[in-house]
Amino acid sequence: MAGTLLEADHINYSYSRKGPKVLDDMCMKIEEGKKTAIMGCNGAGKSTLFSVLNALYKPDKGQVLFRGKPLTYRHKDIIKMRSEVSILFQNPNDMMFKPYVEQDVAYGPENMRLPKEEVQQRVQEALFAVGMEDYAKSPIMKLSYGQRKRVTLAGVLAMRPSVIIMDEPTAGLDPQMAYEVMEIAEQMHSSGVTVIMSSHDTDLTYSWADELRVLHGGKCMYSGEPEPFYSDYESVQKAGLLLPTVFMMNRTLAGLGREELTPYPRAQSQLSLKTAQHKDVNLGALHVIKAERETDIKAIIEDYDLGGMATGVYGMSARFAVRNTAMPVDYLYNGPENCTMKCLSGQDAVLICDPMMLDKAISSAMFINEHGFGKINIDVV
Amino acid sequence: MDELAYSSRMVNWAPLGKLFFVLALLIVGLVTNSILVPMITFAIGMIMMAYSTNLRVPLLLLLAIGEAILIMVLGSGMISILGDHSLPPLWEGNILWFTIYMTEQSFNQAWLIFFRAIAGVTLMLSFACSTPIPYLSFAFKSIRCPNEITELIVLIYRYAFLLLERFLVMIDAAQCRLGYNGPMTAMRSYGGAMAGTFIFSMELAEKSEAALACRNYDGTFPILREPKKLSIKWIVVSIGLAVGLYFVGQYSSDWVNMAKLFAPLFGWDL
Amino acid sequence: MSEIFRLEDVTFAHNNSTRNVLSNMSLSIEEGSRNAILGANGAGKTTFFYTLTGVYKPQSGTVYSRGEPVEYTKDGLRQLRSDVAVILQNPDEQIFCSLVEEDVAFGPLNLGLDREEVFERVAKALRDVRMTPFARRPLQQLSGGQRKRVAIAGALAMNPKIMIMDEPTAGLDPQASMEVMELAEKLHLQGVTVLISTHDIDIVYKWADTTNIIYDGKIEFSGSAEDFYNNAENVYRCGLLTPSVFNMNRDISALDGLSPAPYPRNCCEFTAKFGGSKKSGKIVCVAVEEESAVGRYEEVMKELNGTLTGVYGSDSRFALREKHIDFQFDAIDACFTEAVEGKDSVLFYDSIYTPTIKEQYEKLKSIGFDADLEMI
Repeated sequence: MAGTLLEADHINYSYSRKGPKVLDDMCMKIEEGKKTAIMGCNGAGKSTLFSVLNALYKPDKGQVLFRGKPLTYRHKDIIKMRSEVSILFQNPNDMMFKPYVEQDVAYGPENMRLPKEEVQQRVQEALFAVGMEDYAKSPIMKLSYGQRKRVTLAGVLAMRPSVIIMDEPTAGLDPQMAYEVMEIAEQMHSSGVTVIMSSHDTDLTYSWADELRVLHGGKCMYSGEPEPFYSDYESVQKAGLLLPTVFMMNRTLAGLGREELTPYPRAQSQLSLKTAQHKDVNLGALHVIKAERETDIKAIIEDYDLGGMATGVYGMSARFAVRNTAMPVDYLYNGPENCTMKCLSGQDAVLICDPMMLDKAISSAMFINEHGFGKINIDVV
Repeated sequence: MDELAYSSRMVNWAPLGKLFFVLALLIVGLVTNSILVPMITFAIGMIMMAYSTNLRVPLLLLLAIGEAILIMVLGSGMISILGDHSLPPLWEGNILWFTIYMTEQSFNQAWLIFFRAIAGVTLMLSFACSTPIPYLSFAFKSIRCPNEITELIVLIYRYAFLLLERFLVMIDAAQCRLGYNGPMTAMRSYGGAMAGTFIFSMELAEKSEAALACRNYDGTFPILREPKKLSIKWIVVSIGLAVGLYFVGQYSSDWVNMAKLFAPLFGWDL
Repeated sequence: MSEIFRLEDVTFAHNNSTRNVLSNMSLSIEEGSRNAILGANGAGKTTFFYTLTGVYKPQSGTVYSRGEPVEYTKDGLRQLRSDVAVILQNPDEQIFCSLVEEDVAFGPLNLGLDREEVFERVAKALRDVRMTPFARRPLQQLSGGQRKRVAIAGALAMNPKIMIMDEPTAGLDPQASMEVMELAEKLHLQGVTVLISTHDIDIVYKWADTTNIIYDGKIEFSGSAEDFYNNAENVYRCGLLTPSVFNMNRDISALDGLSPAPYPRNCCEFTAKFGGSKKSGKIVCVAVEEESAVGRYEEVMKELNGTLTGVYGSDSRFALREKHIDFQFDAIDACFTEAVEGKDSVLFYDSIYTPTIKEQYEKLKSIGFDADLEMI
């Protein structure tokens, strides 16, 4: 079902005629509908690759294929491609064109010649998705770096692309906002968008990505799942990277004979429970409320007698519902992990979740259950 | 430009010396009426440029020179066809509402001005290509130019490039958000990019002010390796050459008559 | 340990604003300490740094440097700025000259030092960040990471007693981030008081002695990291998260009925605590100088052929770049982890880092693991 959506085919590119080759015979395939993380040290060619994939730069040799067809670089075709493939640049200041938040987010959809009501609706939704709906009328100059980053993300979301390329989306954000961005990336993936992210944060990308592409010296050094790459420490070092914390701990503990190497835990809670000796301790139960926008959370909590438990929220419709019912939530960021960790300490937790994102939300708990590290009762309402 | 200047072979020559030399040659070209003098100074300018850049001139600079030459050709062309009606014409005609009247004198005059102009361009360029901005500011300070002006020049120069860079990046970003989907949209995108660059410059100014203060900036940019100071040698050579050329000019004012040289080509009767 | 800097009840608002960016902030900074400055975006970190360098004068309250209140006169500020240097997050905001050398010299020249001294300082600073071959290059030609190093050199050349690094690892790849932390450690060992502000809570958790949290213009907390992180609601309120090692320690200890203390802060400590006991592998630590490094390497590896090798410190790393090294970065942690796993390793390092290695050894001992360490 999933095919190759975007492909770089033997691409060579240098910025000036006699300059060094930034991309050197680069071959890379991006699968449709998958979450791909692109990593590499500074200067490996990541930003250049994105610009080439988006037809900003034309490769000196080789071609870019979109849905199996090579790019023709004719104006009409480029416009068509760019309405499907969006790039989010690392520095938000590079992407802001209008003085007010609302106007800037509307910039993309307006360029797509959409009717006014549609543009307005998309802008509102996008601003809500990034948590900036209160700032719609505010001037961009007054926003902090993190807020601007969110506004540019909203601008891209409003274009409803089928592929989104994010260049270091979490750089410069404080930890809570970084998780928020990851949640939005996850949300987009659940709604069918192919998400490609480049990042230096090995921990975040390890817990998020399905596929890994590693760039080094203008070539694609590795393509596939993260674990085989990280297992080869020499390659990791050569690529200018370091191991994700969770992976490193897992491998070290396995080396000590404390536990098996597989299954590979990808999140902190997964590793914690895998490592713990006493696996039959009473763990709390994880109650998941599938919330659409209009769901009355308070009522459900009363009905199912879930009051008094720690609450987390995950996903856009869930956040809508929470806002509508004005419910205080304990974990606004990284809801699933925090709730799972609460269960580890023996307490129950409630996760208010967008139905589209259910799988990811309970993934840590499922991991723990499936591999017999413990039993968390998952209860979906 | 600074990059080019720092890699020039003439970078370590005294900047004031170079400036003095260039100005002296320019002035003598303007003072004499002989076309030979600007031709010589133009040749000197070309040689200096070639030496300074070691014949590796960046494309952008060549384009700039080419554009300047084009403008001069047009300008001189205009002068050549606005001749004195009291003299016999070489060529006469009408284009639309315009009367063309080219005389021997206007033709020669045009050539003289053309050579003066391109001599000026090459000489000044050879100076610019071999003198980095900090050295230039040092030169200005030596002639007691007010600090504020010198520092302003340095800052404008430095930030102009940063802002240009930022503008170009924003144009790229606009493309990604379909900013060129039609002429009206394209114009709005350019406008937006300019506004964004302006905002960026204001913010950069604020942050830089604080950063400069942290490094105890007191209003002047200090230079670590100061360039050579103006020496008598420069003054002597410049004045000597200028005076020499002046006399050459006086003596040779009739040697080269451009009109006569071109006469066979156009079939003029001179 | 004496106090080197103190803020007492400092309140500051920008010229045309009624909102106080810093409000009644009080903090004492100990000389020679390694400080982490954490806080959400907008909490007031950058303003705090600028107050320390005298760029912003508080409307009320006093800033004390070495026990004396700061004088906002030309001389007073010059004295302050020769003591305190800041490295900002974005190098483009703080690089002003065309050539690398000139920019590094900018600060010292502005302090009024004479040329010879400035030349010396510039050379040393460039050596420390490994940018000596770039001394006469124009800055436009350099990449982002290189510019960052030039910015660092510019601050080093001021020979400050206090070095403030604002997001030094932002935008750097993981290996370059480790190099920055090595430099921060080196400064600490040279007696400089270092303050690092960052969003990378894990990297700074390993390194800092004192953790300071800024929230809403005040110092919300100042002290040992764990005391702060143990209060989860507070952490959350301040817009932060707890480090991953801390979380895992907390959860596993709770599940296994162990006490969360002693708190492991990095991989080797974590593994030592939860890995079960095994006989320690041997770590041979070889202090080297740049010139003799290759010779020492060959000498040592002739006997210990086949053992895992690590290198720590920019001089050693550069000298041994042609040789086969297993752990190029974060090697102290890596070698001790190998020891916990019962495997041997050899560590080549810049001699200045001896106290760091000893510190790690002591920390492991307090967790209950006695590493087999040989320093030659």
